[in-house]
Amino acid sequence: LKDFTDAALNAAAAAGAAFADVRIVEERENRVLVRRRSLKLVDETERSGFGVRVLLGGAWGFASSTVLGREAAARTAQLAVEAARAAAAVPRQPPAVVAGEPAHTDTRVGPCREDPFAVSNREKADLLLAACDTMLNVPGVATAAGWLGFLRRRRVIANTDGSYLDLSTTFSYPHLEATAVAGEESQERSYPGGARQAGWEFIREIDLPGHARQWAEEAVMKCRAEDCPEGVMDLVLDPMNLALTMHESVGHPTELDRILGWEANMAGRSFVRPADVGTLRYGSERVSFTVDNTLEGGVGSWFYDDDGVPMQRFPLIRDGLLVALSCTRETAPMVGWERSNGCCRSDGFEHVPINRIPNLYLEPGPDDRLSPEDLIAGVERGLYIEGQGSFSIDQMRNNFQFGGDLFWLIEGGRKTRPLKKATYQAQTRQFWASCDAVAGRPWWRPHGVMNCGKGEPMQVMFMTHGASPARFRGIRVGAARL
Amino acid sequence: MKGNRRRAQGGKEGAMKPAEEVRALLERVLARVRAPRALVQYAFQRGLATRFGENAILQSSGGEEEFLRLEVAYGRRHGSSIVNRTDKAAVGRLVDRAEEIAASSPEDPEYLPPPGPQAYPGVPPRWFESTARLSPVEAAGTIREAVKAARDAGYRSSGLFEAGAGARALATSAGLFAFDRSSSVGYSTTLHGPAGSGYAGRDTEEADRLEARSVTRSALETARAAQNPQGIEPGDYTVVFEPQAVADLLSFLFWNLDARDADEGTTAFAGRLGEAMFSETVRLATRIDDPELPAPPYGQDGLPMRETVWVERGVVRRLRHDRYWAERKGTEPDPGLYPLFMDGEDRPLADLVAQVERGLLVKRLWYIRYVDRRELLLTGLTRDGLFRIEGGRVAGPVQNLRFNESPVVFLRNAAALSRSERVGPVKVPGVLSERFTFSSGTESV
Repeated sequence: LKDFTDAALNAAAAAGAAFADVRIVEERENRVLVRRRSLKLVDETERSGFGVRVLLGGAWGFASSTVLGREAAARTAQLAVEAARAAAAVPRQPPAVVAGEPAHTDTRVGPCREDPFAVSNREKADLLLAACDTMLNVPGVATAAGWLGFLRRRRVIANTDGSYLDLSTTFSYPHLEATAVAGEESQERSYPGGARQAGWEFIREIDLPGHARQWAEEAVMKCRAEDCPEGVMDLVLDPMNLALTMHESVGHPTELDRILGWEANMAGRSFVRPADVGTLRYGSERVSFTVDNTLEGGVGSWFYDDDGVPMQRFPLIRDGLLVALSCTRETAPMVGWERSNGCCRSDGFEHVPINRIPNLYLEPGPDDRLSPEDLIAGVERGLYIEGQGSFSIDQMRNNFQFGGDLFWLIEGGRKTRPLKKATYQAQTRQFWASCDAVAGRPWWRPHGVMNCGKGEPMQVMFMTHGASPARFRGIRVGAARL
Repeated sequence: MKGNRRRAQGGKEGAMKPAEEVRALLERVLARVRAPRALVQYAFQRGLATRFGENAILQSSGGEEEFLRLEVAYGRRHGSSIVNRTDKAAVGRLVDRAEEIAASSPEDPEYLPPPGPQAYPGVPPRWFESTARLSPVEAAGTIREAVKAARDAGYRSSGLFEAGAGARALATSAGLFAFDRSSSVGYSTTLHGPAGSGYAGRDTEEADRLEARSVTRSALETARAAQNPQGIEPGDYTVVFEPQAVADLLSFLFWNLDARDADEGTTAFAGRLGEAMFSETVRLATRIDDPELPAPPYGQDGLPMRETVWVERGVVRRLRHDRYWAERKGTEPDPGLYPLFMDGEDRPLADLVAQVERGLLVKRLWYIRYVDRRELLLTGLTRDGLFRIEGGRVAGPVQNLRFNESPVVFLRNAAALSRSERVGPVKVPGVLSERFTFSSGTESV
């Protein structure tokens, strides 16, 4: 492939590009989808192509193609050059530059002990059909659905710095849900665990058929539960619920491109400013977030980002203080930083890489003995929330409202009965400032997100979040109109 | 990767295949299939996207790609595969893989064989050379004007100019062949002043209809009016939703028009067929005759598109049936939902505002999600301009609010409609509705 990538890079350099890269992406994806007792979909996709990005005269251009040959490489590079020249008609001030980065040459393969593409589709279909059948046999369950998805992605990245990277990763993304109906009530309960960079061993580990009855019974239980009362309460949130909360209220607001206003037309901006790094109190002293794009099994652990920058682990928030932002080689120089911290990714060969949320997690509390039960014991009246449900946040990432998948009323320091239709609503910094305890490391769990939408045209990205259960004081709950 | 190199040497890039060539390609695929039943689909898309922010172009991109998707079946055992190549080797892998998957699959009790030949309706044109010829240069020209307008006002502009041209086709082992090509261009922009913003956007098939200047002007007018919003208490308000906000809110209602989900009791439409769920001003229909929002000739599995009335005078007349559920229920399948039309009334939006003594004018909604799907209770926020209405006039900007409300309630309480406008794949009017519930506020602008 070196001949091919050289052809693209040489064409870009000959046109005067200050920087260029070419990124070849080969994908193989396998999906099995069951709804009720019907195998709705079983397929396999083979997809490949490449994109060329050039920086010319302070403006960026990008072009993609599916034709992998030297001529096509040069032609596509030329299209990217023309796109950059068109972009220069409305120039950036100051002109765009890229942060410096040494040349890297590397070949890496991500974790995958048992090749999911070697497992028969029959076995995958039978697993899902068995799980759905178990759910449908629970009285009160109206419908059940599940899927198993596997994606293998090989990225070959070469750039005019001299980098040449050959990177392969395998993602497994399962799902299972039951929907129960009781009169005019209908409630769902889902597999809570998310995705992982792993192979079939992950599917065996999570044992969807083994949990199917429990989740189905919990869906029925939710139908019969009382509605969540309205008021101000303490919350204890499990790691899967916290995954979405941190994604929306910490991950997105700390993307430097959003802070710079580049997402203003679609995903919005951020209440965070570049000057807030090192000064902004984001949460209580119990709150420490770490970016870790080296996390084993993390769906954002790609070895190098699409800028060709090694993926890294660094603190984002320490003891409640904002200490970093996620950035790219394009955004870092905008705020005077010399190097990118490796948070630039694209969801396919045909899209321009952009600033993305990395793997991001809440550090466990300092006391490994502090359990979720200890957190609950410290609540006189509150909610314990598991899993993910409704989620919504304003375009500056301040006002949010989240739900969950399973809700318990806490009274007198213990879970007393299930509830349904609970929501909690807060302003981002007020919420994280109210965190007074995080359980210890033994209760820390990861959650791989595979559906983070951002950018125009929309790109869908992966990242893993993680947390131990955490407690929040005095949060408004049950604000939804029911 | 080696196969890809072979494709490159013999391949042809940059030309959209005509219908005859696509038909020949799909026939070659079907000829190679040994399974007794097959449905093969083709798609080609060429596109450009130029993105801008902070008064400068940030991304200028383009590319093209074609796909083949094949589903084959032995009895009720089916399997599918997809490739983004059309050369002989890729077709071989496509067929072998789909057949291998199908041969080992368990029986699907809901599988239906692919349809045979269909008669397609005449639909307004969806393909325009003027759109297909758009380049990053034209995109940059439009953006340059937007940026100048923003700079002249001391504002910052951001947005997207996107254009594309494509073709799709479908063929089955039962003798069906369908082909359709279309073009599209969309432009949207957000203008930010020091303390407030405005948004506008437009999508069309024909570049001449885009009228990008008027889009920019609309966003600028809203942004100017939206500066320095005042605080406002959440609560129940009489609202006037502009068509953009109506489309935002009703998208979730449209997605819930599925007959099977309703029959199984999981959506707000469960047991409501024939019932007056909404104000009698409400009529929802799929139409195929509007040149401003043209329909494709065919929908699901190659079935011909047709006009379908879903809601008439507020009464739910029909829910969407896929082929399997239609067969179970003894009715015709519904080929598609979009383009979807909510009829309006022949008056401008200002007439709705004039009817409101005290209320809110809503321009756009953001981050809408279910709170409870069965009740179709949604949450989300206003964005890019929220205005107080007093005495029948727009009295000034207010801070954004979070709503917790159902589009069912919104349409039940609809008191007046304005003329319909296209917003993406739907055409909806402005709506005056009573008692819309906002639950909290935000200072975010």
